[in-house]
Amino acid sequence: MVRMIETERLTRRFGARTAVEAVSMTVPDQAVYGFLGRNGAGKTTTLKMLLGLIRPTAGTARVGGVDVGRDRIGAARKVGALLEAHGFYGNLTGRENLDLSRRLLGLPPSEIDRVLAVVEMRADAGRRVAGYSLGMRQRLGLARAMLGAPPVLVLDEPTNGLDPDGIAEMRGFLRGLPGRTGATVLLSSHLLGEIEQIATHVGVIHQGRLVLEGELAALKAAEASEITLRVDDPQRAAAVLRRWDLTLVEGADGMIARLWPGQDHDQVAAGLNRALVEQGVRVFAFGARERSLEGLYRQVTENTQSLPEAA
Amino acid sequence: MLSVLSVEVRKLNRSLALLLALAAPGLIALFVFFNLLRQKAPQPWDMWMVNANAMWAIFMLPMTVTAMTALVAHMEHGPRAWDQLRALPRARSSLYGAKALCVLGLVGLMSVLVMGMTWGAVTAGVQIKPELAPTGVFAAGKYAGQLAAMFAAGLLMIAIQFWTAMRFASFVPALALGIGGTFFAVVAASAKQGVFMPWQMPVNMLATESWRVQTALGLGGGLGLLVLILAVAHLARREVL
Repeated sequence: MVRMIETERLTRRFGARTAVEAVSMTVPDQAVYGFLGRNGAGKTTTLKMLLGLIRPTAGTARVGGVDVGRDRIGAARKVGALLEAHGFYGNLTGRENLDLSRRLLGLPPSEIDRVLAVVEMRADAGRRVAGYSLGMRQRLGLARAMLGAPPVLVLDEPTNGLDPDGIAEMRGFLRGLPGRTGATVLLSSHLLGEIEQIATHVGVIHQGRLVLEGELAALKAAEASEITLRVDDPQRAAAVLRRWDLTLVEGADGMIARLWPGQDHDQVAAGLNRALVEQGVRVFAFGARERSLEGLYRQVTENTQSLPEAA
Repeated sequence: MLSVLSVEVRKLNRSLALLLALAAPGLIALFVFFNLLRQKAPQPWDMWMVNANAMWAIFMLPMTVTAMTALVAHMEHGPRAWDQLRALPRARSSLYGAKALCVLGLVGLMSVLVMGMTWGAVTAGVQIKPELAPTGVFAAGKYAGQLAAMFAAGLLMIAIQFWTAMRFASFVPALALGIGGTFFAVVAASAKQGVFMPWQMPVNMLATESWRVQTALGLGGGLGLLVLILAVAHLARREVL
């Protein structure tokens, strides 16, 4: 497996506060890697270290095989970035803004039309950026990130502030990006649903630590099964189910029984159902819960949160 | 470096910084124009041109440098463009160095405009009142020399204002520093100690005592160049969080 982005125990402290702690992540070639975490979890700090914008306190980061700490400019040649703050000059047109980056990158003028065509912005490129909508700025930012066709694209919250149509459009665009351009995409987000539909790989950062990483399909397949229940008396049902080796959680639509990995879903489900009925609990709904990224996310972040409490 | 410099110049397109570069010398010329029209008798060219240079050095240059550096810095601070710029595969010192050269170029351009626009204002005034045509010779070399010396003596002030404007995302520190410096330059214009004050160094180029001219020029120009290089090096090295 070719690793386009690789970090090893990447750490960054700001005074006494540790923003990122010993993060070792791997992004394979041509993957769409969803970098997940709540606001303040350490996503942007990690991305800034990958882009050489801030120095790590400890650890290393490699982009396209180049050590960012040793050769920032060499690593920067391998990556195009869309950052949360777009940094466009409102007094200039979209085309003029792209031209500034093109000149700094030493690329031919034809490169502007190529990237404008990819993001379907050619018609609006002659307008001043000050008059652009947020969605247009995001697309222009993507166009700028793709100048020179870098093998790695780092996109910080690319769907931020977009309306539902804009999000759907961006989703389709990002999903097809590796196929169209051959690029590896690392995108950070706190929108689990969006990442689930776009990403081939995910990494979850929580309180500065990478708590989960892997191929999304494999992670979901290995996820512990969950059973959703809707009953007439949840307290009685909970008392019955406590005898079973599982975790009970209150969900929005009822109770959720979380099984342990490896447990036989069908056998446990049949047993639970029988026990509830035998104890006189009226069961209105009973079914397998679809394995989701959100489920994975909740599991790993809740487990991490409960660690200090348990200690 | 030329490509980075050309990018900086292109950023000025339709910007307020370019407007300011025209407005500051234009205001001096406007004042000279109306001042000429209210005269009863003709005055020598020296009076108009050296007075314009004095107005430039004592007030307009420090204020313009304050505003110009703040505007040039705000082109990046405003849209939070630093991360995008600093992530590019270019030496960061070239990015800041180009910005510094751009500011110096604009101040140089304004110095030329002070002379050109003042000449234009006097010439235009004489078209309305021909009896006020200036006496004596128009010593272009002398006026240009004064402006060049003011530019060189102003380097330390430019370096300090440049660093402050680039270092802090807020307008306030750079403006407070520049307004404060200009205030003391104006109210204590003839103070001997002023020769050591960066905002007052340019006006010392008009001093009659040669030690003041030499000291202000040496400190402003020599130390100014050194401080500007150090400022660029520091800005390129620091992290923008």
